[in-house]
Amino acid sequence: MTGYLYEKDLRQMKFTILTSTRHDEAVRAIAGRLGISDAKLRMVLIRRFDMSLLENLESRWQMGQEHADNDSDPAAKDLGCELFTRFVPLVETETMRSICDETKAMIGDGSSRDEAIARGKARVREAVLS
Amino acid sequence: MKKTVDVSIPLGPVHPCWKEPVRLKCETAGERVLRAEVELGYMKKGIERIMRGRPWQEVMFLAERVCGICSVVHNMVFIEAMEDISAIAVPPRAAYLRVIVNELDRMASHILANFSYCYTIEHETLAMYLLNTRETVLDNLERITGSRINTAYMIPGGVRFDLLPEDAAAMLADLAKVEDEMRRYTGIFETGPLIALRSKGIGVMSREEAIRAHTVGPTARASGVVCDLRLRHPTYRELGFEQVTRTEGDNFARVMVRFQEVFQSIDLIRKCVDTLPEGPIRGGGLCKAGETSYSGEAPRGELTYSVKTDEYGRVLDIAIRTPSIMNIEACAHSMIVDAASIADVTSTFISSDPCIACNER
Repeated sequence: MTGYLYEKDLRQMKFTILTSTRHDEAVRAIAGRLGISDAKLRMVLIRRFDMSLLENLESRWQMGQEHADNDSDPAAKDLGCELFTRFVPLVETETMRSICDETKAMIGDGSSRDEAIARGKARVREAVLS
Repeated sequence: MKKTVDVSIPLGPVHPCWKEPVRLKCETAGERVLRAEVELGYMKKGIERIMRGRPWQEVMFLAERVCGICSVVHNMVFIEAMEDISAIAVPPRAAYLRVIVNELDRMASHILANFSYCYTIEHETLAMYLLNTRETVLDNLERITGSRINTAYMIPGGVRFDLLPEDAAAMLADLAKVEDEMRRYTGIFETGPLIALRSKGIGVMSREEAIRAHTVGPTARASGVVCDLRLRHPTYRELGFEQVTRTEGDNFARVMVRFQEVFQSIDLIRKCVDTLPEGPIRGGGLCKAGETSYSGEAPRGELTYSVKTDEYGRVLDIAIRTPSIMNIEACAHSMIVDAASIADVTSTFISSDPCIACNER
């Protein structure tokens, strides 16, 4: 059965965008920050982002480094609350808010900060890969 | 895209309002647009890959073929990147001539963008007037460089042709005519009640959204972002350049910024001609090995060339970040989302001056 040309699978073209020099650097940096493999992140990006957002990924990541979470508290900055919801929209805002609130509550309850942040980051990872 | 809405409306890839093929998929609930997605890839050139391994003399010609509307600035940014790598100085006269040609190119691009917008909102009379005026601008570009589109005017260490006094006089006379006409057309646009209905308060993008998507050029300046790279360019600073900014962030503001920038370009060209330094138009210098990331202000915004060369001036690696990459994304994910009517999608998309050729470099 034939299909329309414009309904074709875009995965290969999306992958080509992500593997250009500057985008590849951005993908590696994001994967490093999230603590997941480059390949897994590429898969998520290809599935969730449209081609235009993928083309702009490097610029958004760059702007996120400069402007995201500048006015937030340190825990939100460590988790990348604004960075991963508004600049590189990999996590739903509601999900990120609940992760952030939970992490802050853990710190407030007397848990070690590092432990709470590590747990929060693991949940962010989970949300990205879900 | 998840199907959680009434209708998914595809616009393009072939659409009467699009100058180039792109597909915009809008998800709507009634008339309201909930989400939009952009599909590219209908004219991918792979020009960065073609450039790799070639000497700068060949890459220079390829660079201006990335885009047929702002080809001069692609030539300029690539050459200035090569000069940055090789520490080649440009004679003052050549630097001023570059500004003249670059501003003529900007005028042609802005007038074409505003033509497209007027055509999209069905104001064909104004659109055709603008297209006619653009011809005068292109004639002047041809007068100086010998070509209307792919001029290859700039070379490392200077420019290829000088500006003769009689050509300068003819150009100034033409610019006076263009200025008069553009004042009239800007008045028509600014005061037209039907134009206002289709433009004011439509496709609004806030300053925060503009910053988040790294929006650049007139699209960002219409949302109040200070982002004109000409503010940092040494020749423009000498000429006392100041950025045009508006704060409304809607279609009207984006078109008006372009109209105002056309007048600004005319003033800059006049200043250049009045204060054009004497001297040679070509200096010396050899292209060397190195790596740089150099940005310039294209008509649509920040254009960045990241170039790596070897000792013979061959381009080992190159990445081009064109302004439309950022602007199209911001348009699809900020301006169009929550549009009250599907009829506003085309005009909003065109108001961001999308260049698919640049995006599909």
